[in-house]
Amino acid sequence: MLKGILKRTVVIGLVLFLVLGGVLIAGCTDEVDEDTPQGQATSSPVLGDSEEARSTPTAVATVDEKPAPSQPVSYTIADSTGDWGYPSPYTHYSRGPGYIRMSFVFDTLVWKDEMGKFVPALAEEWQYLEDENAYVFKLRDNVTWHDGEKFTAEDVAFTVEYVKEHPMPFTTLIGPSGIRETEIIDDYTIKISLEQLYAPFLNDIAGTLVMLPQHIWEEVVVPEEFTDAKAVVGTGPYMLVDYSKEHGTYLYKAFPDYYLGKPAVEELKLVKIGEQMIPAALKEGSVDYGGVSPDIVGEMEKEGFAVVMAPRGWNAKLTINHNKEPLSTREFRQALAYAIDRDGLVEITQRGHGAAGSAGMIPPDSEWYNPNIEQYAYNPEKARELLEGMGYQLEDGWFVKDGEPLELELLTQSRYGFVEVGEFIQQQLESIGIKIELRCLEGKSLDSRVDAWDFDLSVYGHGGLYEPSILNKVITGSGFNSARYEKNEILNQLLEEQRQEMNPVKRKELVQQIQAVYADVLPALTLYYPNWYSAHNSRVAIFYTPGGVASGIPIALNKLAFMQCEDK
Amino acid sequence: MHISPKRELKRSSLGRVGIVLIVLVLILAIFAPLLVRYEPSGQTASAFESPSLEHWLGTNHVGQDIWSQLAYGARTSLLVGFSVAVFSVLLSALIGASAALVGDRYDRIVMRIVDALIVIPVVIVLVLLAAYIKPGIGYIIVILSLLGWQFGARVVRAQTLVLKEEMHVAAAKSFGASNFYLIFRHIIPDLGPILLVQFVYAARRAIFMEAGLAFLGIADPSIISWGMMMHDALGFCYLDVWRWCLIPPGVALSLTVLSITFIGHAFEPVLDPRLRGEAGA
Repeated sequence: MLKGILKRTVVIGLVLFLVLGGVLIAGCTDEVDEDTPQGQATSSPVLGDSEEARSTPTAVATVDEKPAPSQPVSYTIADSTGDWGYPSPYTHYSRGPGYIRMSFVFDTLVWKDEMGKFVPALAEEWQYLEDENAYVFKLRDNVTWHDGEKFTAEDVAFTVEYVKEHPMPFTTLIGPSGIRETEIIDDYTIKISLEQLYAPFLNDIAGTLVMLPQHIWEEVVVPEEFTDAKAVVGTGPYMLVDYSKEHGTYLYKAFPDYYLGKPAVEELKLVKIGEQMIPAALKEGSVDYGGVSPDIVGEMEKEGFAVVMAPRGWNAKLTINHNKEPLSTREFRQALAYAIDRDGLVEITQRGHGAAGSAGMIPPDSEWYNPNIEQYAYNPEKARELLEGMGYQLEDGWFVKDGEPLELELLTQSRYGFVEVGEFIQQQLESIGIKIELRCLEGKSLDSRVDAWDFDLSVYGHGGLYEPSILNKVITGSGFNSARYEKNEILNQLLEEQRQEMNPVKRKELVQQIQAVYADVLPALTLYYPNWYSAHNSRVAIFYTPGGVASGIPIALNKLAFMQCEDK
Repeated sequence: MHISPKRELKRSSLGRVGIVLIVLVLILAIFAPLLVRYEPSGQTASAFESPSLEHWLGTNHVGQDIWSQLAYGARTSLLVGFSVAVFSVLLSALIGASAALVGDRYDRIVMRIVDALIVIPVVIVLVLLAAYIKPGIGYIIVILSLLGWQFGARVVRAQTLVLKEEMHVAAAKSFGASNFYLIFRHIIPDLGPILLVQFVYAARRAIFMEAGLAFLGIADPSIISWGMMMHDALGFCYLDVWRWCLIPPGVALSLTVLSITFIGHAFEPVLDPRLRGEAGA
């Protein structure tokens, strides 16, 4: 009897054990939560966005026309993040991926091509009038809205007025960068006068602000709640056929009367697939494009897929509380920079898939980069010297001043692989004698503590490094993404000047000077720029737009790519 | 009480297997610094290495030695398991025994609270709490203890109701012993074997929960934990190397939980003496 029970239990135990093991292994195929390091490839935050305007449209719009009976040329895009809101200018979530989904349906005055150059979109030509600080746009006369109405200068003037009253979440039109007034010269010519000199006007406004049809939107009082089928009538190459908030899917079909001709890709699908599953889906042929983790790039290329890398525009940085002793001392911040091996950081925490941070924040592959600034190459000796110069003494391997040990709190978060980065920095700083208490917080609590200056050091990240106007936002601007450093008059003045400098050569000089001063005072320390990749079968020549789509979105889905397709 | 847990354990060969396994894990945890060659959190540039003489179980995505992490992870698991078991058994004993002894309205209120706690899905509460505070080890122990005493409290109360009528307890009471005195002097010692079983169950639950929270990525990720190791490994499951990172913590966790289950199984006759007759035949 005893033996029987024993045997049974052993068998049950063994089965349990095997099942557990099996579940563990099978668990691999499941989608893991998006906060894993790879989640960043497609869910990269774009700086300058306000909080995600998560208004939740319930209506699923369908455009009246039925799809053609013959098999259309279809292209499927895999994305691990899924839902980004109803793709109308006021209802998409106010971050890059939401804007991209909306940009298939709506057009701007100008747009960027694969070289990052501004090319005509709704405007055929444009001209800057220096003495009036105004732009004159000559519009195309062959543009129709998806419902057949003509697009004219009236729509542009209306959009500007409407957006002044109802700020569009993704586009800034208020404050010093704003538009003073519009003047309709004829049906297809419009003059837009600016409030102030504003160098990145084409990038930030003409190339980002989408045009709204006056005949539809003039009756809309609360644009954030406008989610019926008319809210997706634009002039863009695609019309929305179906959107599912629950499944995070979007289905578009080509607009036959598009002013550049009907897009070669007739049907565009965006589907939600976990990051880890994208390589498998690509190989299986069920999707044509998807963001992939850097670790698998080599394998995808071997399999014959084309892999494109995003121009580096996102940086992880060490935010420093420069209002608090001893971090308020410049030399102390410089000592931190010397003590952290940024090349090693990329090598280890990113497994080499990235570039070490420049002390001037702008990445080395940017046209605005200044190569002649202090880079604080890894030098723990120098770091110790600087600290000793400030009166710290090493006791038992730890720095002490006036009997007080030197101890700092380092905050990090589980997103973007920042835990490993935090651990790396902790090890490096402790090895020179600074005691580090590492704390991992949930994203929102971290934001609020940084916002309230309730921290010493924090691992942080933001994008938008394509256009130098970001420097103003993240050095002197407000909010937790910014260093909020206004103590250096020269830096403040340079930042203001570069924003107003309309001459590109002079502006570049100013931006380079800013990097030199920034690297010297170090309000924060850029740690690295991660590499982001997308893989695709080469049916469509997907490209990353240098400088990012619109105001700087680091996503490879520029709508111009879909005008051509290998199949046709 | 005439049931000795020690004897029960000796009688059951499964129990002996459990004891051996748990002792092995204990040795791993206690002597971790002597058994490993690398700092568990020491990052190196050699990521995703297969097992070798240098790294017995290979390395993970930031070049940390998996064997070191496994050994230190055992510390986390056992620390959480043991502490939660101690605290929740203490709570169970105090609350269950006092409910039985005091009786009346107090008993009814306490038992309704127990009912409520049993109905509340602990995992969901934990996930909600953890998502907001990213708990470190201390928090996890407190939360798991506060959410884990209700099962024991019921058993203890039932047993105390029986013990209360026993001769020696009744005698002490008639001499004017206070409830407090009764609990500590008579009830708890007599409850020993039952508390031991509760202890085993609570430890198993806590170890599993801690790993689960870490696996879901809602505990403090800077704690070295088997759950966290599995979480990290699954982030790279599109590469072939993930197995080296996933299997060791998975096996270690399974073995630990299994060993405690075996021990608990051996103790079962303590809770239900009717099982003994059959097993002893």
